[in-house]
Amino acid sequence: MKFTPELEIPGGCIKPLHYDDIDGLFELYKHPEIPGQRPLQDKEQLNRMIDYSVQMAATQRGMMWAIETEGQIKGMVSGFDWQPSNLRIVMRVDGLPQLTVEERTASLKAAISFLSTKYHVRNFAYQWIEGQSDDIKAALSECGFTLAARLRDGWRTGNTEFSDVEQYHWISSENKPVPRKLGDDDELGQNLNANKRGES
Amino acid sequence: MSWNFETEQFLIRLPVSDQDGAALFKLLSQSSAAAHIPRLPMTVEAQALDELRRIAMRFETREAAFWLIERKSDGEVVARIGVQYINWMMLNAQLQWELSAECGLEELQEVLPVIVNYLSDDLHLHRLEMRLRTGSDDQSKLLTALGFSHEGTLPSQMEFEGEDIDLDVYSLLKGELNI
Repeated sequence: MKFTPELEIPGGCIKPLHYDDIDGLFELYKHPEIPGQRPLQDKEQLNRMIDYSVQMAATQRGMMWAIETEGQIKGMVSGFDWQPSNLRIVMRVDGLPQLTVEERTASLKAAISFLSTKYHVRNFAYQWIEGQSDDIKAALSECGFTLAARLRDGWRTGNTEFSDVEQYHWISSENKPVPRKLGDDDELGQNLNANKRGES
Repeated sequence: MSWNFETEQFLIRLPVSDQDGAALFKLLSQSSAAAHIPRLPMTVEAQALDELRRIAMRFETREAAFWLIERKSDGEVVARIGVQYINWMMLNAQLQWELSAECGLEELQEVLPVIVNYLSDDLHLHRLEMRLRTGSDDQSKLLTALGFSHEGTLPSQMEFEGEDIDLDVYSLLKGELNI
């Protein structure tokens, strides 16, 4: 089954991670944007990450897309720490230096739109770590995120070094899904009172 | 490495699953004890036993540790204080407490340094965070008096009794405890 769809953005798409894209992903992981994160040395580890990306999506723990524009993998957009019951998730974009603010914004918007529509996720968080590019903040602002809290020393960058984390949120204005009981739908398998046409 | 401590007036000890059910139920059935989390008060003692088992499992996996604060003079459990969501990579954790009416600033100033020093010196945690339901003024005053800083408010973190709950974030870094 396919849980992560390919979604169009201007000039390209965001798409599920695939073993064919491992060279592009390796390039990305050689240029980590997160303070304190070491460049990846072993390309083989990405095979496992791609496996995880499928498992994460299948179990609603997260979702990962590669950002591809002009035929090149320029970044990744991901949702993690997904809490379906609380309708919330934390988003993240990792990009190569050539990923533009516009591409970052478009990728984030496409992922958020999908998660919001398909899974009714309402509360999107993003953690910007001190030392990261201000381009990320520009993209967040463009997507409607606002600063909620500054977590002091929330990110460890070395043995005894830490950076502050700014936590941003965007809350969807869509109504929450209304909880229903089994049988409320027109699914015959659950609604024992319905006839074959689905009428009660 | 012992996880049990003692101050002049209190024992700070890990709970015992098959012995502390009644004491924990007495504490957590008070609606004021967990309203800031927020969580409903317990209504039957079986919930306390279940909670003790759960906490024991989370302790085994070094994901959380909760201590009962027992008054030496009469054996009364006046509070439960714990850490959870321990992130050993980032060296941070979330602090949580449930206090009875008999545990205020004075009592916290006696027991919290022991716990915080243990977390910081022995477990090397750098940042402790507590999240409070917005509007929990009494708890907020206690945290501020103890040296915690308010860092902001996270919106719509959960739904509780039909209401979207915002959580205020407070933190304490190594060496900031005010006693």
